[in-house]
Amino acid sequence: MANSGFPIPIGSVLALAAILFCIGLFGVLTKRNLIMVLVSMELMLNAANINLVAFSRIQSKPNLSGQVFSLFTITIAAAEIAVGLALLLAFFRLRQSSEVKDLDSHRW
Amino acid sequence: MIAYAWLVPLLPLVAYIFLLALGRRAPEGVVSSVSVALTFVSFLLSAAVFVAVGSHPEAATSYVFHWLTLGSRSLDVGFSVTHLNALMLLVVTLVSTLVLLFSREYMRGDERFAVFYQYLNLFVFSMLALVISPNLLQLYIFWEMVGLCSYLLVGFWYFKPEAAAAAKKSFVVTRIGDAGLLAGIILLFLASGSFDDSTIFAKVAGHSLSLGWISGQALTTLAAILVFVGAIGKSAQFPLHVWLPDAMEGPTPVSALIHAATMVAAGVYLVARLFPLFAASPAALTTVAWIGGVTALLAALIALTQRDIKRVIAYSTISQLGYMMLALGVGAYAYGVFHLMTHAFFKALLFLAAGSVIHAVHTQDLFEMGGLGRRMPITMWTFLAGALALAGVVPFAGFWSKDDILNATLQTGHPVLFVFALVAAFCTAFYIFRVFFLTFTGEPRPAAQLQHTEWSEAGEGGPVMQVPLVVLAVLATVAGFFNSPLNGYGLERYLFADAPTGAGVLGRTFPENVGLMAVSVVVSLLGIGLAAAMYWRPVIRPASLANGLRLLYVVSYRKFFLDEIYGAAVVGTGRFLAALVNAVDRYVIAVIVRAVGRIFYAAGLFLKYTQTGQIQTYGVVAGCGLLIVVVIAIFRAGGVL
Amino acid sequence: MSGPLIAFYVIALCVLSCAVLLLSARRVIHMALSVGGVFIGCAALYLLLDAEFVGVAQILIYAGAITILILFAIMLTNHEAQEPPFRWNVRNVLSALGCLLLCAVILLSIRRTAWPVPDASVDINGGNSNPVAIGMALFKQYAIPFELVSLLLIVALVGAVLLARSRKEDE
Repeated sequence: MANSGFPIPIGSVLALAAILFCIGLFGVLTKRNLIMVLVSMELMLNAANINLVAFSRIQSKPNLSGQVFSLFTITIAAAEIAVGLALLLAFFRLRQSSEVKDLDSHRW
Repeated sequence: MIAYAWLVPLLPLVAYIFLLALGRRAPEGVVSSVSVALTFVSFLLSAAVFVAVGSHPEAATSYVFHWLTLGSRSLDVGFSVTHLNALMLLVVTLVSTLVLLFSREYMRGDERFAVFYQYLNLFVFSMLALVISPNLLQLYIFWEMVGLCSYLLVGFWYFKPEAAAAAKKSFVVTRIGDAGLLAGIILLFLASGSFDDSTIFAKVAGHSLSLGWISGQALTTLAAILVFVGAIGKSAQFPLHVWLPDAMEGPTPVSALIHAATMVAAGVYLVARLFPLFAASPAALTTVAWIGGVTALLAALIALTQRDIKRVIAYSTISQLGYMMLALGVGAYAYGVFHLMTHAFFKALLFLAAGSVIHAVHTQDLFEMGGLGRRMPITMWTFLAGALALAGVVPFAGFWSKDDILNATLQTGHPVLFVFALVAAFCTAFYIFRVFFLTFTGEPRPAAQLQHTEWSEAGEGGPVMQVPLVVLAVLATVAGFFNSPLNGYGLERYLFADAPTGAGVLGRTFPENVGLMAVSVVVSLLGIGLAAAMYWRPVIRPASLANGLRLLYVVSYRKFFLDEIYGAAVVGTGRFLAALVNAVDRYVIAVIVRAVGRIFYAAGLFLKYTQTGQIQTYGVVAGCGLLIVVVIAIFRAGGVL
Repeated sequence: MSGPLIAFYVIALCVLSCAVLLLSARRVIHMALSVGGVFIGCAALYLLLDAEFVGVAQILIYAGAITILILFAIMLTNHEAQEPPFRWNVRNVLSALGCLLLCAVILLSIRRTAWPVPDASVDINGGNSNPVAIGMALFKQYAIPFELVSLLLIVALVGAVLLARSRKEDE
């Protein structure tokens, strides 16, 4: 490496996060099952977390803020998945289905 | 003392607010006592002011405060006391006190007794504030407030359809006049830059009123006529007199206070107050004189045949207001005001006496009354005093003021108007004694006996009703002496202490006009005699006379068909215009509106298919949008790369 | 090629293959397992980036709690559900194109950006161990956000219970 610093190039980490994010997005947009959609969303959140941790370690003035923020993100993701799954259960009880296409009560 | 004149209108306002706070279920005794007491204090104050002003021969005393600034012009509020204002204060508070006292008995048991007193107090406040307004803007504000109170009180018994309609009519008709007044005030403001009377008068006298498109004499005349239109509406002059007879649907004390003594006199007061403006324009003065003369005659002719006791007196009021306008129009400023004062007393008396009669027999139809004199002696004698004053018999109040007006009309060279006024005087004597004889003499009409079981109990109201009658009767008898040769025309001297410039003092010496006095008394006595011959000792049978003059009788009884003519002309035109506008609205505007609606409805019909309810579809669309934004931001606009 | 770099590429490969597996999984249960792989891979990446506390928290919360939660949800609902075969309809084509383009754009911009050179001489933990340093930051600098997040968690918890509870009128 040119610099004497960190051994992993930052661009690679960010690229990994970007690819992960896009995979998650694709899953959210195409999966038929609600649980799968939720899980894909977790992928997107993880991609964001990777970015935060990478920026915490690799920048001109490294500090801890990125890591702390990723902790907050993890917490919020936990809250989100809990509420999301609760909604899913309620919906399943109502419609006996966990398919996204059945979430259409706002249809014209 | 003059500096405290603002207390005079304030006390009724205090009473109004107090009654408002008490609510509409307040006990009648408290309500009426408070009102009467405060108004009476007001009256004492006005009397003190009247005396204090008398010893202050200089011009108006004004107390004004800066209110707001409009551009370079500033507006003031405050009050001003002139001799004319002081006299008006005295008359208004006196009549108000008596009417408030009278109402205590007359309105007893009414569900909205407290509300009635609230309205009355508000009216008294507005009227007094109108009188002492220092400038035209403030005057206009209170001018509208008395109109509002009149509307509320005419429609006091709003559950009667006639009362509601009459209230509406009075409001709408006076509104026509008010529009004229407002236009006149705005015109004067634009031309002189001030609402203040004295500033306007100075400019008028200096011929320095001017606007871009009109100036000088024409502007003065236009402004005076516009202001006079307001007076026509308020004082029920021909052709806007039609609201006043209908306004008799209100309670009788209201008729006595508002529609006889005070509010309708506001028009006369306005012309008297702005007399220098009128005096500067001969055309405007002539208009005033002719409107007044025609109104006096027309209303007297209509009053000859009416069957409703209050309507006869209402037409009489219109006629007498016509006299006042006539006096002002021929330049006899002091006589108009003098007649205003005496008329306030004897007309309030006539209305209250009529109210006493109505209170006793519960009908207003003259031909259902009769023989009430034995049951109601006080009412009869007081009514007689009022009738003699109205007819103009020596030495009652109306004689002095009416005679002055006739005298002035003749002296200033208006023979036609003099004849009008003389004929009107004859009619006046006839119709008021027709009422008197039909009501108080003869036998009770049998029809009435069948209809009204209370007839046998009909009698005087309590002392609360009799005291105002007696006080007013005394005033109607002696008020004329305030301005008679016996005290050297005291009222005239009082008024002329700060009389507006241009109010002509008419040369008149007592012994020379005795002839004219005799003529007017003879004419009155002739009218009384004819009435007696027809209705007291029936020498002439009224029915045969009416048949003999069938056409004239019908014309008079139907009020010269003026209501019908207005109905056809004004209301018909209005209906036609409304139909036209309605058609435009319905077939042009509505079609456009509906077309616009259809377009968006059709668009909605197609666009609704985009709302599939599938969140992933929405997500794809939003994602593509995000992509476009990101691409633009990165490659084009932001220059990140 | 240093050791950490090699380790990074291996981890990245694992994470991406797990993610692709997740996309192609037909059964919900397989999917849940592959997402567990992604979470663990991420945790390893954090450790590699010297964020020990975050990495451990990732394993505890994501790989532990959330994956188990998802499994529970699957079991409580239609756990036999199968994802139908992928169809190239308009929406899916558009999604695929959009995601690819987005990925390409982001990668391009990452590549073109001149990233600042990290200064390895700074110790971001300020001389302490990483958990101690994070604890300091959380309770000093980020005390208020921390409390707010705890509030949020409570609200989410209560909300989740309320939502998932079977209602009277349903029975």
